[in-house]
Amino acid sequence: MIGYMPKKFKIKSVKKYTNDVNLFKVKCNLSPKPGTFLEVSIPGVGECPLASCSYDNKYVELLTRNVGKVTSAMFNLDAGDSIQIRGPYGKGFPLEKLKGKNLIMVAGGTGIAPITSMINYVEKNRKNYGKVWIYFGFRNERCILLNDRIEKWKEKFHLHVGLTQDKETHKYEKGFINEIMEKHKPKTKNTVALLCGPEGMMETVTEELHKLGITNNKVYWSLERRMECGFGSCGRCQIQDVYVCKDGPIFRYDIIKPKLNNENWSNKKE
Amino acid sequence: MQKILLKENLNELIKTWIKKYEIIAPVKESKISRFKKINSPNEIYDCLLTDIPAKTHFMPEGETLLEHKDKKTIEIEGKIKKTILFGLRKCDLNAIQVVDKVMFDKNYINKRKNTTLVGFFCENPDKYCFCNSMELQDFYDLYFYPQGKNYIISIGSKKGEELVKHLPELKKEIKIPNPKNFKKLNTLDIEKYYRDERWKADVRKCLSCTACTAYCPTCNCFDIKELINSDIKTIQSKRFHSSCMSKNFSLVAGGKSFRDSRTSRFKHFVFHKVLYFKKQKGRPMCIGCGRCLRVCPTKIDWVNTINKMNRKPLFNFSRFSFKKLKETNK
Repeated sequence: MIGYMPKKFKIKSVKKYTNDVNLFKVKCNLSPKPGTFLEVSIPGVGECPLASCSYDNKYVELLTRNVGKVTSAMFNLDAGDSIQIRGPYGKGFPLEKLKGKNLIMVAGGTGIAPITSMINYVEKNRKNYGKVWIYFGFRNERCILLNDRIEKWKEKFHLHVGLTQDKETHKYEKGFINEIMEKHKPKTKNTVALLCGPEGMMETVTEELHKLGITNNKVYWSLERRMECGFGSCGRCQIQDVYVCKDGPIFRYDIIKPKLNNENWSNKKE
Repeated sequence: MQKILLKENLNELIKTWIKKYEIIAPVKESKISRFKKINSPNEIYDCLLTDIPAKTHFMPEGETLLEHKDKKTIEIEGKIKKTILFGLRKCDLNAIQVVDKVMFDKNYINKRKNTTLVGFFCENPDKYCFCNSMELQDFYDLYFYPQGKNYIISIGSKKGEELVKHLPELKKEIKIPNPKNFKKLNTLDIEKYYRDERWKADVRKCLSCTACTAYCPTCNCFDIKELINSDIKTIQSKRFHSSCMSKNFSLVAGGKSFRDSRTSRFKHFVFHKVLYFKKQKGRPMCIGCGRCLRVCPTKIDWVNTINKMNRKPLFNFSRFSFKKLKETNK
């Protein structure tokens, strides 16, 4: 039996990254696995599903872009204010299956959040995983999120950041993620790719991975849908016969591809 | 186990129940039949199929789930008095079984625990009914079957047995037949029809008015909204029915709707009812009551459309290319 009862937690700190993206650090013992999500709510406003951006059992970090009802209300909160959270929901990344494999992680924009918690997990269990390649894509230098952490990870992993709008960049590289991946090719033997971002971006990256020799059954997509409950009863996040909340939000691409294709096909036909 | 009851004695049986239980039965109010609380058995309206299904008892519109007051949050657990849902047809009973498989929250389960389901054999089916093609199961606490001067009462659970303890037992068990149907759905395996061109005629008629989902007894999709009371001290999170036929059903922050076109929404409705739910839970979600066909303002008949596709698989011209044919001939 599951309830809708959320728990109250205190915001420890708020860090501003860009004009519309903040990182909320919340003291919280829910310890969500990488790839799962939490239902964050503010009484009187509503609920929204957010991925945790860290893997720790003492706090939860929410990297939030100011786009919707709840997220814009969250931007009025400060350190010391309380916020309600229930969860975690979803299956998350298949951590057991990824053991002993090389990893490619690709994220675009705020899609960096679930990937960050996976990187944290890999850092803590470094022995279990092989080499790690990380590719991030942002619009321009002003839009770069978690830049302090990116610097740290650069020392540990093969990390490349691509900027699509900037014509000149010193620190980072120019171009879409798939172009950058072509420049700095990852090893493809015994490798699994984890993607999170807009669906168009993930598609092009998957094509690029295909060219490099990584088949669809080794690519994992993290999907975004509307969720009201989080455990498969409100029916809003369904893609054909799967619930994104209960069966995902991480899907193996060869499983989800025909379902997405069918829906996109009928979306084009009015 | 089966028990027997004279038809004249039904009213008295209900009167004895009313003392202990709350009874919810089909009632006709201003031309609309629906399930409602009754105080005497004379109020029961014997109709073909109620216009509004019994799901409103378990999931009433605007039901409160959470209450925020004085910086505290209380969960409303949906505890109700012991209730009998009387006069459910076989399709309605199966609809409750379907919804049981998707609803896991405390509120629903508490309501469900305290409710006894009393079914009634469907003697005069509607012209839109096609329940026999939907793999219905025997699911009830009590089930009444009229035979001559008597009712034969099948008992499906201990909850039901308590209600008819005092009645005489039937020595020889009678097999209860399926209700009659005038309509039929020829196939449940409709996966191959997803890209069929013949859906177009139905989609063109569709207005996205969401009547089909509002009247469907198995449609349980919902939306949780937060409403602030006029005294600005209490806030309530309420559950409202929501429909996959409307555009904002899959709308996310930022303005992206994942099922943007009417085609994809209409197909999601039909395929979820017939195919997807069967893949998820092992039985079709649609229970063949035909309410969606009955209430549709433009008379869309998706059952007929599937039957047409089943009869004549259409050659798909849009996918056929003469160029390829020429190349292969070379």
